[in-house]
Amino acid sequence: MRVGFIGLGRMGQAMAGRILGGGHDLVVYNRTAAKAADLAKAGAQLASSIAGACEGREIVITMVTDDAALKQVILSAGGIRESLAAGAIHLTMGTHSVAEIQRLAAVHAESKQILVAAPVLGRPDLAAAGQVGIVAAGPPQAVEKCGPLFQVMGRRTFNAGPKPEHAAVTKLANNFMLGCAIGAMAEGFALVRKYGVVPQVFYEVMTESLFAAPAYKVYGKIMVDEACDMVGFTTLLGLKDFGLIMAAAELARVPLPSGNAFRDRLLSAVAHGNGEKDWAVVANEQARASGLE
Amino acid sequence: MKVGFIGLGRMGKGMAERILAAGHDLAVYDVIPQATAEFRSAGARIASSVAEVCRDREVVITMLAEDAAVHDVALGPAGMCASLPAGAIHMASGTYGIATIRALEAAHQKANQVLIAVPVLGRPDLAAAGQLGIIPAGPDAALKRCEPLFKAISRRVFYAGTKPESASAIKLANNAVLGCAIIAQGEGFSLVRKYGVEPQVLYDVMTEGLFAGAPAYVGYGKTMVDETYDRVGSPITIGIKDANLIAAAANIARVPMPSHDVYIERLLGSIAHGEGDLDQAALAREQARASGLD
Repeated sequence: MRVGFIGLGRMGQAMAGRILGGGHDLVVYNRTAAKAADLAKAGAQLASSIAGACEGREIVITMVTDDAALKQVILSAGGIRESLAAGAIHLTMGTHSVAEIQRLAAVHAESKQILVAAPVLGRPDLAAAGQVGIVAAGPPQAVEKCGPLFQVMGRRTFNAGPKPEHAAVTKLANNFMLGCAIGAMAEGFALVRKYGVVPQVFYEVMTESLFAAPAYKVYGKIMVDEACDMVGFTTLLGLKDFGLIMAAAELARVPLPSGNAFRDRLLSAVAHGNGEKDWAVVANEQARASGLE
Repeated sequence: MKVGFIGLGRMGKGMAERILAAGHDLAVYDVIPQATAEFRSAGARIASSVAEVCRDREVVITMLAEDAAVHDVALGPAGMCASLPAGAIHMASGTYGIATIRALEAAHQKANQVLIAVPVLGRPDLAAAGQLGIIPAGPDAALKRCEPLFKAISRRVFYAGTKPESASAIKLANNAVLGCAIIAQGEGFSLVRKYGVEPQVLYDVMTEGLFAGAPAYVGYGKTMVDETYDRVGSPITIGIKDANLIAAAANIARVPMPSHDVYIERLLGSIAHGEGDLDQAALAREQARASGLD
């Protein structure tokens, strides 16, 4: 397939590498051209503009950090809206707001292009191994056409429905539950610590019974070891995600009281200068609120 | 070992059977005499009072549903404190509040007896199979003496320390995290449903990724997707009982627990809507109602 790829951060580079490895005809573009060097060496063509990455492509993938960057690559002069052929697909794979995905789906439809949203679940190492989860949504034919790309990039594709925003909200709901799990664990650890329990014992009770899952094993371990300097996902990024989650909830009129409680802990963590630490640092915030530090 | 057992409900029955099967000398007592019937033929001594079940015992285990019950059995007239021999151990195996555990500990100490708290993790089928997780806490020597009993009833022992209340704190904290996981799922499902996403898709995303292998999500999430709230594992009324113990423990130790407070509010809302006897997964329905979905 003739594929374009825009946005070569750590995730994007890994995903583009998988597509190239799958034998597809790949053109890549990144604002900072140096990040495309490895892919060029591996056989990708380098475009010097967004328009160049769209020309003659059946599918153009974007993997950019936030809504502002996504709007920029689509709507700016020479952007995807102006450059992508009628009938071609824009496959957006970052985590974006529901409202923005709704708006951009309409923008593409006006230009006779198709938006498919397929946010990914997983870190760069999983992306490099083609083992991310993919939550895909959009017009069924378009999603089906993207299938061969999903196959080389992920271990499993979850089809979330015919509207691109279905994928956005499903991804956000999953992140939401992770945040709430982190907040709840932080409360549990503070409670047992105040009774003089060794945190490791509580960790074992949790992760060997009801909560024998990666979310609890990984983040519980960080809390036990107080290793929030080893950053997987920062508090500031968590706050950004919870901003998207609460906005999606407000738009649909869904009160999320657990989400509000967790977002407040994130805000406190940032207020105490821990924005760049792993978001498990909310456990410190909970400890502080409990008079433990 | 000479063991007494008080409280032969669904959990207690399985545990007592395991202890008997391991060859211990067992006396049993329950306020409902029928509950002890099948123990007679299995070789246990049937006691007709708390005092009688305590006579000559090295360890007496209680598996009672509520703080008030264990309070009465231990501290009431002709209760365990009055009846257990000096040096004997009261092994309290239910889920009890911090204040209750502290009161029992002090009363037994005064009577030259020892309290250990050993809350359990698991349902009646695991109890019957001797496959519970257990969380013992209390003086080291007493825990050591009870090891043969731990072995008979459990697959995994999590030692929590020398103070009985440490075991309660862990069990309560674990329940708190479960309550928060249940309502977070309820909120997540409401969010996607309002956008027209099939709940099953979110369930698949959760349980094949971050929450794979966790019964708290695989089990409760499934009940929410299928809306089979009538098949009750742990009902909302039990949830509020435990949640109140958790809130009291948090209050005693001065730990604000905002997520858990949200859980309490949803439990109350469910009960207010007449759904107290449904499974706790029905908190998702309360969340849906709050979201204008039902």
